[in-house]
Amino acid sequence: MKVSGSYSLPVGPERAYRLLQDPGELARAMPGCESLEQIGPDEYRLRLKVILATLTGSFEGSVRIADPTPPLSFRLMVEGSGRIGFLKGQGVLHLAAAHPSTEVEGTEVSYDGEVEVGGTLAAVGQRLVDGASKMMIKRFFEKLSQNVRESRASLP
Amino acid sequence: MIPQKFEYSAPKSLDEALALLARGAKPLAGGMSLIPMMKLRLAAPEHLVDLRRLRGLDDIRESGRGLEIGAIATHYDVENSPLIRQKCPLLAETAGAIGDVQVRNMGTIGGSVAHADPSADYPAALQALEARFVLKGAKGERTVSAADFFLDAFTTALETGEIVREILVPSDDARTGTSYKKVAQPASGFAIVGVAARVRQKEGKFSFVRIGITGLGNSAYRAVACERALEGRPATPAAIESAAALAAQGIDANSDLHASADYRRHLAAVHTARALATALSRIV
Repeated sequence: MKVSGSYSLPVGPERAYRLLQDPGELARAMPGCESLEQIGPDEYRLRLKVILATLTGSFEGSVRIADPTPPLSFRLMVEGSGRIGFLKGQGVLHLAAAHPSTEVEGTEVSYDGEVEVGGTLAAVGQRLVDGASKMMIKRFFEKLSQNVRESRASLP
Repeated sequence: MIPQKFEYSAPKSLDEALALLARGAKPLAGGMSLIPMMKLRLAAPEHLVDLRRLRGLDDIRESGRGLEIGAIATHYDVENSPLIRQKCPLLAETAGAIGDVQVRNMGTIGGSVAHADPSADYPAALQALEARFVLKGAKGERTVSAADFFLDAFTTALETGEIVREILVPSDDARTGTSYKKVAQPASGFAIVGVAARVRQKEGKFSFVRIGITGLGNSAYRAVACERALEGRPATPAAIESAAALAAQGIDANSDLHASADYRRHLAAVHTARALATALSRIV
């Protein structure tokens, strides 16, 4: 299934690019993320607990980054499996200055990719995969922006 | 399959139920969504609090605020209540369109709205009715409008430990025409798209239009652009046709194996036109 969308972050493209590759920041923003640790130069191990309506499930998997072109784009590959099924996704993220003509810092992050879901989760939840992934991605970007604003506010 | 082991309480008083919920138990209403998920072991709550024995929580009555519908009134109750059929036929019609007769006999209106499935039928009607939800928790009670209640897929304004106690809908007179049109997914009965329309007219023009749409995006919404395009305009098929094209405006429609986002948007326009035409024809 295809997923695409765009969100804006309240920082310039360079900073946004670094933010999107910082395991600590990502772990804090990802809904349900229990841990994200680096296991290779561009590879991370991910533990995720998904709570969606009545559904609860833990996933373990990996996140890989490829084709890095800072600060313009990179490819993200996510794979995970758990008792209730597996999920696999990959996509390209493009970063662009949100207000090129003004002094205001901002980055428009757009993504375009595909998600596959299997197991019990897919058997009963197929009609919910699209909405649920959109919601998780939205929450991720909202939390990331909020964290950036808060860390800026706490600066002396 | 057999669910994982869990504790079960069926309190008779609301205070007792709320105390258990405040300690992290999960409320059980009709169980039409929760129990199948538990059987598949996609959900494994440790403690269930059954709300169905709470006295008075299924009352349906009329007051100065309109109609008050208790949260554990079943879809069957809502569909067949003489009061709702007379004063709020849109809600009765919508209840009758849910799932199948087994689901309607067990499922409850409060359980359905608290679950907030993106394809549930009730939210379309409740948006068109500008319903209000009375939420109750251990700390007290508050009332939230439909616009502020449905936040995202499976996400509502309910806080942990809070339940929907009752739903308030206006009591309409015969000058208001209503209709609910849906395209049901054949296996589950869920709405691929469902449109609830509520209209009044004066001297051949639409004087009041409310349209609620479910199944398209992550939560049901009011098609405000469409409403605005009709209010004050002649109540003609041509006006309905052109306004209905705005039904999905600004909505991020979902895709699944039953219908693509584009097809859903198309269905929304077609069924908005049909719901409006039927609603108009029902004005007495």
